[in-house]
Amino acid sequence: MANELAALSNEIAAAVELAGRNVVAVHARPRFSSSGVFWRPGAIVTAEHTVRREEEITVTLPDGATVPATLAGTDPGTDLAVLKIDITTHAPGRSTTAPAPGTLALTIGRSEDSGVNATLGIISARSGEWRTWRGGRLDHYIRLDLTLYPGSDGGAVVNTNGETIGIATSALSRIAGLAIPSLTVDRVVDEILARGRVTRGYLGVGLQPVELPDHLKGLIVLSVEPAGPAASAGILIGDILVKLGGKPVQDTDDIQLVLERHVVGGKVEVEVLCGGKPRRIDVVVGERPRRS
Amino acid sequence: MWGFGEIGERLRRSTVRVSVDEGGRRADQRSSGSGIVWTSDGLILTNAHVARGPKTEIEIWDGRRFPARVVTRDPRRDLASLRISAIGLEAVTPGDSAALHPGELVIAVGNPLGFAGALSTGIVHSSSQRWIQADVQLAPGNSGGPLANVHGQVIGINTAIVNGLGVAVPSKVAVDFLERGARPSLGVQLRPVHLGLLLLSVEPASPAANANLRAGDVLLTRFETLNEALDSGRPTLRVHFLRDDRTRVREAVVCLAAEAEAAA
Repeated sequence: MANELAALSNEIAAAVELAGRNVVAVHARPRFSSSGVFWRPGAIVTAEHTVRREEEITVTLPDGATVPATLAGTDPGTDLAVLKIDITTHAPGRSTTAPAPGTLALTIGRSEDSGVNATLGIISARSGEWRTWRGGRLDHYIRLDLTLYPGSDGGAVVNTNGETIGIATSALSRIAGLAIPSLTVDRVVDEILARGRVTRGYLGVGLQPVELPDHLKGLIVLSVEPAGPAASAGILIGDILVKLGGKPVQDTDDIQLVLERHVVGGKVEVEVLCGGKPRRIDVVVGERPRRS
Repeated sequence: MWGFGEIGERLRRSTVRVSVDEGGRRADQRSSGSGIVWTSDGLILTNAHVARGPKTEIEIWDGRRFPARVVTRDPRRDLASLRISAIGLEAVTPGDSAALHPGELVIAVGNPLGFAGALSTGIVHSSSQRWIQADVQLAPGNSGGPLANVHGQVIGINTAIVNGLGVAVPSKVAVDFLERGARPSLGVQLRPVHLGLLLLSVEPASPAANANLRAGDVLLTRFETLNEALDSGRPTLRVHFLRDDRTRVREAVVCLAAEAEAAA
């Protein structure tokens, strides 16, 4: 029994040691530092809500050295930010897909004073795609049953093999900490590194769900952005949107989900009821203006 | 050798309840914490902030009670040693806190909120020479109790809760305290401020009080510098400070050796 306990203890300590090699402390806000994870050579991922300034950001590396970092870009929707440093020797760790509920999970963080740190708990829930209240899309909803301390945000959520499940954040849910899944991090990091930001599709319409005859639902166009993507394609106020990209749409979340799958500048087929008659229109997807 | 249950049961037998009569009349003015049986002949280790009253009583696991004498207090490391007249106690086995790694499973026993022998488990959050931080649920009353590894060896003395994390004094520090006694202290409560260290309170008859330092004075030094100076082994400490007008820098010489004699 105790040999098993000792073995488990050693296994967890080894996972912390392994995962800790890729975890840094991020100094980008007053008072508490947060944590970050090497995701690509020279690129560190952290939680966007812990980055409170754009300049004078530093990171404390696993060897204890503190070096300057630049902000490559952020995606508030998924609560991810990417920092770049000149050192490219740290290889990112192995990552894994979303684990089953009940799996033991650790968050690995780092602080300048005490070095690598860890908390233990389990994955308490996992489901499919989930839209955050900030508007971003996570490939999985992974809820954590463990304590996230102030410095743990942005750290790595790992399993007992030290494989990365995702990035820890306390800012996307009021009831629990979440892991931003590795799959989502891969997607967002690559887009930020390529373009400096994450672009989101945009139609340029204001919509309101409405009931249609025969228990059908649609979205009525209440406003049209002048010269926006929808206006350019000839969509009018009062049209009722029933399908987007071939999929029935009933509320604005459906619109966001379809737009996620279309690149900015590509075409998407919109089916509207115009004066009660169905019409199909191709709209060139625009880029959603950034919140300032 | 054992699972959590057996480790917990062994630790429970080596964990005592420390009650302190702070001189108040009402029963609720008795405060209590935990302590650790360090040797079978009655040496008890606890926190200095637990053993702070003139009358201290120890209750061991089987319900027997003993009056205790405070042998040494070290407020800076928050440790105190007590002595009770008993033999055949079940003493703990100290572990090597320097060999501790973040992630290792740990187990805490104590009397949180009055529950005798309560057990909580978790992992080492981070570890340094001065503190062990543990991802373990602690509560007031755990203070002075043991934090042990999976072998049941005591690697820390639970001392505080900071941002929800349990903070323990490493066993290595405790062993040093028991072998070499208390390090000199000023006998003050401090808070870092912009200019230096603000004295919040000064204990009567302490080295600071004897040097005429008062609550409200601001010592013109940093915490680390003061700690180093206190640990340097010099019998006196020269401090610069500000009082009232904040324009004139005053100087005081604190005699540290005097307190060591008084305590002996």
